[in-house]
Amino acid sequence: MTTSIKISKLTKSFKNETVLNELDWTIRQGDIIGLLGKNGAGKSTLINAILNIDAADSGCVAIFDEDNKSLSSETKARIGFVPQQNDEIPWLTIKELIAFKKQFYPEWNDEKVTELISRWEINTKKKMSELSVGQGQRVLIILALASNPDLMIFDEPAAALDPAGRRDFLREIVNLAVEENKTIIFSTHITSDLERVANKVAILHHGKICHFDELDNVKENVVRVAVHSESVKDIVVPNALNTQKSNNQLSSVVTRLDKGWQQEMQAQGHQVEVNPMGLEDIFLEITA
Amino acid sequence: MIQFNIAASSGIPIYKQVVEQIERMILNGYLVCGEFLPSVRQVANDINVNPMTISKAYGLLEERGYLSRQRGKGMMVAQQEEQTSKKEKMAMLEKMIGELISDAAQMGINQQELLALIKTTVESDSSQMIDAVEQGVK
Repeated sequence: MTTSIKISKLTKSFKNETVLNELDWTIRQGDIIGLLGKNGAGKSTLINAILNIDAADSGCVAIFDEDNKSLSSETKARIGFVPQQNDEIPWLTIKELIAFKKQFYPEWNDEKVTELISRWEINTKKKMSELSVGQGQRVLIILALASNPDLMIFDEPAAALDPAGRRDFLREIVNLAVEENKTIIFSTHITSDLERVANKVAILHHGKICHFDELDNVKENVVRVAVHSESVKDIVVPNALNTQKSNNQLSSVVTRLDKGWQQEMQAQGHQVEVNPMGLEDIFLEITA
Repeated sequence: MIQFNIAASSGIPIYKQVVEQIERMILNGYLVCGEFLPSVRQVANDINVNPMTISKAYGLLEERGYLSRQRGKGMMVAQQEEQTSKKEKMAMLEKMIGELISDAAQMGINQQELLALIKTTVESDSSQMIDAVEQGVK
């Protein structure tokens, strides 16, 4: 497996606040990653630092084995990015903007552009500044998809889209995923957006990627454990994120269920109940 | 056309939901031996999920002997041996009963009450069947 992005010791501060703190993260080609973080966790800061739009204070980022501060134009053409803020040239019509963008990308897909323009009912005679936020975001997504990039980064792509637009956008991501070896990263705080399409989940918390694993593993490993017993006072749950105890009941969220511990508990006559958790609950527990 | 019922936000991984639903369709005879399943891409598009999820599910079902991969044609429902099939049906039912028991527990219904309910349901079901047969005779 080849690596698309390798980040080491990335640090970034704003005034007195450290947003990224010696962050390490390696992304393999073909991964479809949902980047989760609370509001203000630094998702956009991280994305901007990866793409060197707003450079980090220290640390390094390699994209397709090239330093992100000196990417070749070939490598740049392999990257698609949809920012949260629409900062495309406001005075060009959409038609002109598409023609302008096209010249920088050798792999430009006219068919995809035509198809999405008609499906999303975008008036190409209008200027970017005349479009609604949602329509503007759709144009940005079309521009990014059209260049047929190997690496796509979306910063909160669903934020300005209505439910139908979100469905469509997710379907496009799914289609991209079918094509071989595309790497997709999308940041979001809406867990339901990524549960259908991401194969991996990364959680940004306290300036680091504190959790990065396959979505299926996350759901299988992070579970809620309840123990019913006459006295739960002395019970210690392994790998617990937090534990609440009352007289005869204990409830705990674990990052991995210790099967040996479970059997031992049951052998001692305690009643152990294990329940799966949805991603939203998992996210809230990990970042609590 | 296979209808999947996927709860993306559930704590059960999507691939597991797909595996379980196909298993049920095979064990209850909705899918029969020799029948082809829709392609990974088709299913992924239909239910709007990552295709890797579907290949993972198909791969697992192949490993467990439910499906067999036909070169260039896709996944076919495999011949189920009667004995293993019976065992798996029992295992499937055991799992469903387990779910029933925990649902009942959450509603505050104890095991005796549940057993009594199952017994009366089974009895009324079979008496209805006898009624139906007698109706048929008349």
